[in-house]
Amino acid sequence: MLTKFETKSARVKGLSFHPKRPWILASLHNGVIQLWDYRMCTLIDKFDEHDGPVRGIDFHKQQPLFVSGGDDYKIKVWNYKLRRCLFTLLGHLDYIRTTFFHHEYPWILSASDDQTIRIWNWQSRTCVCVLTGHNHYVMCAQFHPSEDLVVSASLDQTVRVWDISGLRKKNLSPGAVETEVRGISGVDLFGASDAVVKHVLEGHDRGVNWAAFHPSMPLIVSGADDRQVKIWRMNESKAWELDTCRGHYNNVSCAVFHPRQELILSNSEDKSIRVWDMSKRTGVQTFRRDHDRFWVLGAHPNLNLFAAGHDSGMLVFKLERERPAYAVYGNMLYYVKDRFLRQLDFNSSKDTAVMQLRSGSKFPVFSMSYNPAENAVLLCTRATNLENSTYDLYSIPKECDSQNPDAPEGKRSSGLTAVWVARNRFAVLDRMHSLLIKNLKNEIVKKVQVPSCEEIFYAGTGSLLLRDADGVTLFDVQQKRSLATVKIAKVKYVVWSADTSHVALLAKHVFQSVPSAIMICNRKLESLCNIHENIRVKSGAWDESGVFIYTTSNHIKYALTSGDHGIIRTLDLPIYVTRVRGNSVYCLDRECRPRVLTIDPTEYRFKLALVNRKYEEVLHMVRNAKLVGQSIIAYLQKKGYPEVALHFVKDEKTRFSLALECGNIEVALEAAKALDERSCWERLGEAALLQGHHQVVEMCYQRTKNFDKLTFLYLITGNLAKLRKMMKIAEIRKDMSGHYQGALYLGDVSERVRILKNCGQKSLAYLTAATHGMDEEAEALKETFDPEKETVPEVDPNAQLLQPPPPINPLDTNWPLLTVSKGFFEGAIAAKGKAGQMAADLDMDAPGGEGWGEDAELQLDEDGFMDAQDGLGDDGGVGKEEGGGWEVEEDLDLPPELDMPAGAGGGTEDGFFVPPTKGTSPTQMWCNNSQLPVDHILAGSFETAMRLLHDQVGVVNFGPYKSLFMQTLSRGRTCYLGLPSLPCLRGHPQRNWKDCGAKQGLPAVGLRLSDLIARLQQCYQLTTAGRFEEAVERFRAILLSVPLLVVDNKQEIAEAQQLITICREYIVGLTMETERKKLPKDTLEQQKRLCEMAAYFTHCSLQPVHMVLVLRTALNLFFKLRNFKTAAGFARRLLELGPKPEVAQQTRKILAACEKTPTDAHQLNYDPHNPFDLCAASFVPLYRGRPVEKCPLSGACYCPTYKGQVCRVTQVTEIGKDVIGLRVSALQFR
Amino acid sequence: VYPPLSIPLGDVDELFDVKNAYYIGSYQQCINEAQKVKPSTPEKEIERDMFLYRAYIAQRKFAVVLDDIKPSSSAELQAVRMFAEYRSSENKRDAIVADLDKKMAKSVDAANTTFLLMAASIYYHEMNTDAALRTLHQGDSLECMAMTIQVLLSLDRVDLARKELKKMQEQDEDATLTQLATAWVNIAVGGEKLQDAYYIFQEMSDKYSSTLLLLNGQAACYMAQNKWEEAEGVLQEALDKDSSHPETLINLIVLTQHLGKAPEVTNRYLSQLKDAHRAHPFLRDYLAKENEFDRLTMQYAPTATA
Repeated sequence: MLTKFETKSARVKGLSFHPKRPWILASLHNGVIQLWDYRMCTLIDKFDEHDGPVRGIDFHKQQPLFVSGGDDYKIKVWNYKLRRCLFTLLGHLDYIRTTFFHHEYPWILSASDDQTIRIWNWQSRTCVCVLTGHNHYVMCAQFHPSEDLVVSASLDQTVRVWDISGLRKKNLSPGAVETEVRGISGVDLFGASDAVVKHVLEGHDRGVNWAAFHPSMPLIVSGADDRQVKIWRMNESKAWELDTCRGHYNNVSCAVFHPRQELILSNSEDKSIRVWDMSKRTGVQTFRRDHDRFWVLGAHPNLNLFAAGHDSGMLVFKLERERPAYAVYGNMLYYVKDRFLRQLDFNSSKDTAVMQLRSGSKFPVFSMSYNPAENAVLLCTRATNLENSTYDLYSIPKECDSQNPDAPEGKRSSGLTAVWVARNRFAVLDRMHSLLIKNLKNEIVKKVQVPSCEEIFYAGTGSLLLRDADGVTLFDVQQKRSLATVKIAKVKYVVWSADTSHVALLAKHVFQSVPSAIMICNRKLESLCNIHENIRVKSGAWDESGVFIYTTSNHIKYALTSGDHGIIRTLDLPIYVTRVRGNSVYCLDRECRPRVLTIDPTEYRFKLALVNRKYEEVLHMVRNAKLVGQSIIAYLQKKGYPEVALHFVKDEKTRFSLALECGNIEVALEAAKALDERSCWERLGEAALLQGHHQVVEMCYQRTKNFDKLTFLYLITGNLAKLRKMMKIAEIRKDMSGHYQGALYLGDVSERVRILKNCGQKSLAYLTAATHGMDEEAEALKETFDPEKETVPEVDPNAQLLQPPPPINPLDTNWPLLTVSKGFFEGAIAAKGKAGQMAADLDMDAPGGEGWGEDAELQLDEDGFMDAQDGLGDDGGVGKEEGGGWEVEEDLDLPPELDMPAGAGGGTEDGFFVPPTKGTSPTQMWCNNSQLPVDHILAGSFETAMRLLHDQVGVVNFGPYKSLFMQTLSRGRTCYLGLPSLPCLRGHPQRNWKDCGAKQGLPAVGLRLSDLIARLQQCYQLTTAGRFEEAVERFRAILLSVPLLVVDNKQEIAEAQQLITICREYIVGLTMETERKKLPKDTLEQQKRLCEMAAYFTHCSLQPVHMVLVLRTALNLFFKLRNFKTAAGFARRLLELGPKPEVAQQTRKILAACEKTPTDAHQLNYDPHNPFDLCAASFVPLYRGRPVEKCPLSGACYCPTYKGQVCRVTQVTEIGKDVIGLRVSALQFR
Repeated sequence: VYPPLSIPLGDVDELFDVKNAYYIGSYQQCINEAQKVKPSTPEKEIERDMFLYRAYIAQRKFAVVLDDIKPSSSAELQAVRMFAEYRSSENKRDAIVADLDKKMAKSVDAANTTFLLMAASIYYHEMNTDAALRTLHQGDSLECMAMTIQVLLSLDRVDLARKELKKMQEQDEDATLTQLATAWVNIAVGGEKLQDAYYIFQEMSDKYSSTLLLLNGQAACYMAQNKWEEAEGVLQEALDKDSSHPETLINLIVLTQHLGKAPEVTNRYLSQLKDAHRAHPFLRDYLAKENEFDRLTMQYAPTATA
């Protein structure tokens, strides 16, 4: 039993789960009704109107209503949205024990100590029926979930089943209202016909406290003061007692069926909750409290949740964990479902059962550890009594039938937890809490003393995480020592990132007292961040970018290693994350179904990019994602990235304040212009002034008409012209003091005098004029004084000239600012235009793709080879047979090696050490096992390799083979380092490594027919390009490589030979063409020879592309020689090849010309109709029937005079040599 | 409630990190750890120094060793110095070997495992496997056994190597050296054992750090299983760590050809090797083979010339 939530309160007498929301109502003995959110563990509301204990409580299934009944004889119907009681139903004459809504009709069923059961219509707010018959308190009455039945339990020791179909008919028939009206007045009169007792169940010998229907079967469960739980069965005609569950040793308060499993739950005043197996009628679980008697039970209608009320509160619990056991490796998820181990391929979504688990445990698999190297799993099963926990070690069958998977024999041992620590070792925490290391046979290899430890977790190869009461320790199993410890209480799950560089520790949630915690640590278990969740953390997985994605009961959230975290989306039901890739969250739900949820990773990707300062990514997201939102902007501001936030914001106001925050005056100005608000200009002015950006300051002052400040600005910047203008403006505005101030600033005395005079300050005007020596002006003023009344003021003889200093160099530029390197963002924004150009560049590149297309076309030409490659698949059988054939010969070779004295290295008995003799190296084996030249070269046995090449294909000049030999040799052996500072050891890659054993090895060849064929393309391209000599060289390299191939089937042997033919034809043709081009063409004879050679060339077997070129050359030459008849032949052959339109057109023209005079002007040594071979040395035709000598490798033909010489085509073989023939496959030796 | 447990200190090898780093080829880390650790006894201190100097030798920083170890230093360190001297100067080698032969002819202090190891290393470099094995036979430490296995493998005596390995496993199956030796033997045995060998290297790089030694081991396993693409990844990582590590280059020469890359690519690695490691056994063999080829070519000629 897993307690999910507990409350402390007065005695809980009634409970009701909300069908959809994570809510539960608890009615208390003190008159209060509490509404709890059991997921968030918070009290949502309190309803306190009943007087005295409230026993009946029930949520309505659809409406925001609940009903309660109490010891104050009142039934109250409440609306929890409005948070008040809607109305009260009065009628019962004693305590009300239970109240329930009908699932469909607007009815409430109540049971009371007044010995009646009543049915109320909560819409008309009237009692529609009274069920009488019990002759003691009715403790409980419930509607049947689908039929027109009611079950009731009473202290009269009976359980009664009532038929209320009459009531339903009356209410549903037309004119029901009328009937109802009638019903109200005559409850007693008509009640009997509305509801009749159907069955009376007698069997309990004390008062019955509770009775309930089974949700689907015709069963009833009841609990009574006789301490028994009884199961009853009923049919149309009768009801009988089925069985009794004995075990409680005090009054049974409540008993309910498990909504989905064959279980019954009951609780009792004996302070226990018991779970009974319905079929076996035995108790399966008991949960006890020390001091609290239980009073009521509630079952959630849809979830596997229960609640129980007791003397001091209530608890919400589950009977078993719903978390599936799973493990992820690479693209595979392994999980346990219904006694099967299943495998889900994330990529293909293929979900298969790979094996059946051994049965026998009543507990579900608790956890799993998977070992990819051995394809083995450890499945841990936890018993209620931890000491009885076990684990099973299974080796997953390699092949399986998903419909009916194997049930392999597992190895079971006791132990709390078992996890792999290496490919062939696992650690077991046994019930004594000591650590055992076991091998694949489940044998103990060693015992490790560990610090106190209550749980172990995987921590990479050779390490474990050990959990003790208040921390987690990283423990090295091999060294038997602790490497690091981190303090975090009650870690339940540990999630490693794929590269094990980070680990998330998920700690348990202990109701309200201790919130869930997530701690993210690095490989060394140094804590990077701590996240607290008020709600249960369920699972988590690392995404590929190193963000931890986790789920709580109702959210998918993310956490960066920097500690940033947030909600990605909400969840209806808890899920268990198995993997996160891109925007897909792979998970298992509570029914253990694999699901994929889509999330929007933008927010955390964005934050990650910010943390990692990957600004180009940030910018990309800013531009392309719909990220904008107040929260992101606030986040950016908070985290000190106002410059980034700036680029998010379209809203000018926010933009303005962000721009000010990061001191970006330009952007702020832009925004201010758009906003054009006084306050903005003021703020901008201040900011700009601080930066010395006085042009903006000026604009701000202008916009805000702040003349004083503007004037002062002009003064301090020495802008006299503008200052004068300001003075004029002040005059116009009749701002006397501003005007005067301006004049003062300007040092304009006459203006000052004028101002003073105009505003009637005559004496001041006079003094000013007189002091500054403006005598005329002073005189004029003096005259205006009335000597009677006014006195002319004394002029201060010691007056000093007060003049503002003249600006030497007026400041018309801004104050110099430090050059700040432009942030990435400003740069990127500025580069917006450039980005467009880049796009254009790409377009420019696009035509380049056509070049590739051409290549592809070229490949299509070589249909033959494509087909040949297709054929590669079907050779397995042949290859194997051949292997068998070899073994026979092998046995003959073996004995000498067996002669080796076995004790050669172990002659220690005599006290003398006899060093062992050298063994047979794999390379020696290779030579023994193969007659193929390349195997001998790889083995480094050049001598035998040369012998083989000589005998097989007649090689006599090995010079050109040198680089091939050396190259081949160099790929025969790999290196690996043994002990430091010692020469390395050599590895021997073998092509039959899987099944060759110690003696049958053959080297991995490293030269593939397909590679050689691929290399042809290059040669063709060189040919097309007219680089004949290079092309010949490459063709020859291919040709020489063919004898160094190893192929597996006849088809490939044929292809190898075909490859030789192609190379030969090209080499002969291209050498001849090279030769032809060197020849003089002065005389007719010389020209005739040229034409002949061009004609011969057309008889080499070439690719159509090349044949077109060759034919055109021949056609042109013959046409020029006026050999029109032969030329016409070439023209026709050319047209057959379907050349390009313009070529075809020209050819047709020539053909037409030729056909006018279909004769040859000159006699040539060329007869197109008489088949011939071409001598590769003298380039003359060797017509059929004439003696010919051939090259043993290339098959090139020669006049007999060349016999014994080196072949012109291969340059390595001897013409006319008698040989065994090309050998490139073991098949050829059978 | 469970009994409080504590870690028994005696069980922990205080030099574990130093030794471990050395054996997996993480030499700088070995040096760092050795400089950090505070040995509890004078014996441990000598042992630590021994690994410290051997790590320098593995890094080819012979001068450090030759300068640091004084004639007054312990016999163990003298042995290390001898090896450093042997490795550092080619022209002194004959003299050192002759001197060593003399020492070996007399009775040797078999307790001085370091001396045995260093002597055997010299003999092994000299390709005198008999003497190397004879020397190692006198010691019974894990490293002596590991070196014995290496020598036996170079002699293609997998059968005897397996026997020796069994002895190692009986002594301490989980020791790093035993694990490594298991991997060497597994590579030589081939077949299914190759995967086991791979896992050993891979687990160690997971657990500690990936070193050239471990990466090349993994590559050898992959290549032995004809998993060329996988080997490419591992070797690339090795190449990133050190672009002129001879064994990595040799393996790349093998690999590039098996991947069907152009001959120029292979030749580049060969040139690099020739540039930086003239004296490497691989090149010695290579040159010898070239000469052999030229010699053998002379035996063939066409019957007629044009």
